Amino acid sequence: METFFTTSDKIHHIIKSFNLTKTLFVSSIIIGEAHTGKKTLARYLFPDAFVVSGEDQDAVQDALEKHDELIISDFEKLSNPSQLNFDNKRIIATANYLGNASLIDDIFAFIYMMPTLKERPDDVEYLKELYVEEACNTLMIDKDKVTMSALPLNLSLNSKSLKKSLYLDLFKLAIDKKEIEDIMYNYLYASLEGKDAYKIHLGLYERPLIQAGLDKFGSQLQLSQVLGINRNTLRKKIHEHNID
Amino acid sequence: MNTTLINFEAFIEWDTNPFILFSNLGKILYLNNAAEILFGYVSQKELYNIALSYATQDFGYRSTTLSLTYDSFTFHSITVGYESEDQISLRLYNTPRIASSHKLETNKLITTDINILLEANIALFKTKNTNPLSLLVDQDLPAFKIDQNNFSKLLRKVLNTFRSSDSIDITLKLLIGQHVMIEGKKEPLVQLIVLANGRYADTDDEIRTLANISQIKCLLSEKSIRMEVPLIQ
Repeated sequence: METFFTTSDKIHHIIKSFNLTKTLFVSSIIIGEAHTGKKTLARYLFPDAFVVSGEDQDAVQDALEKHDELIISDFEKLSNPSQLNFDNKRIIATANYLGNASLIDDIFAFIYMMPTLKERPDDVEYLKELYVEEACNTLMIDKDKVTMSALPLNLSLNSKSLKKSLYLDLFKLAIDKKEIEDIMYNYLYASLEGKDAYKIHLGLYERPLIQAGLDKFGSQLQLSQVLGINRNTLRKKIHEHNID
Repeated sequence: MNTTLINFEAFIEWDTNPFILFSNLGKILYLNNAAEILFGYVSQKELYNIALSYATQDFGYRSTTLSLTYDSFTFHSITVGYESEDQISLRLYNTPRIASSHKLETNKLITTDINILLEANIALFKTKNTNPLSLLVDQDLPAFKIDQNNFSKLLRKVLNTFRSSDSIDITLKLLIGQHVMIEGKKEPLVQLIVLANGRYADTDDEIRTLANISQIKCLLSEKSIRMEVPLIQ
């Protein structure tokens, strides 16, 4: 069964309103950006409802004839929503955007706006914890070695970008020297060509090396000693790779 | 010519249009049944002032078309008359209740606890607004048949007109003594009043249309919306 976690007041009001109308035959729609949990919320509140996507108008039409309780996802993708008859049906629709506002207003009794993850900082923390746990299990990383506060949060695409960015960051932690070499091998194998490939691809090694060194040691003098190269050579390479 | 004296008092007494006879000091000398009910919603002074304002310059009678609303009472015209300096009469003519153009198919309606629909709509309203809201409902109201979806749409639009109001008072009660005829049957009425310090009127036409579909009498004023919902069982 789906679960839904939230500390958002707005979503608590949505849940309350849905719980009150659970036994009534009314049409409701949840509108909000993609990956904000609209469908998860609908499935959590109506676990027995038949789910159909608005991408297929005929399938929706067919489901309406067979079911009294229906979740219609991607409602904005329906080609002709005004043709649907929701009389005495329990409809829970989800849409990524409002689209034709007056049509939505005509069709639905309850119109809910789902807040984005940016508006729900506590929910972001909860999801972050959940995704890190999941990623650590998948990538076999010791969670205790992960500095949670150092993980950047990408909320540009709500939970999708959050999950992806966390996985990528944790993946970077999990990777070892051999795997880096394998990745380099695959990349170079696919891209090696022309007459100047050595010079072109040397940046793959030199840029992260110098950048990491500068971040770690601060001064060019100290870094040139650590790297065992001349300070002028280091300066030349910094300039070459456009490193600040 | 033979003349017969007829006493018209009983006709006036039982007329549904309010009739009031004032003294020259504004005291009520006589009022019929309908006027007695009306005085529950308007002051004696206000009606007396109306009578004075619309009286003819000399003795006589004058009817004026105007629009007056007191609570759920609406009048389309008045007649003011006086034959002496001591008495002045005011008669107010009820605006006829327009029969709903929409036929209610009661067999398609679902028995519903109206309190649930109201609470759900308040929760929806609270997802967008933070206005303080008070709710006074009669928990003993029986469940009755209603078009759940249409009534929810109506409630959403009604509450939405109060989106910027400072505080909103909602009252739901049985309207004692009043009925409406639906499919030839006398049905009681439930009154829902939403009151605030002001409201938007941008969707009033849509509210009237939705109310008409469910045969709900809707009174829209500057600060309130009153709905009389048929309690069909």
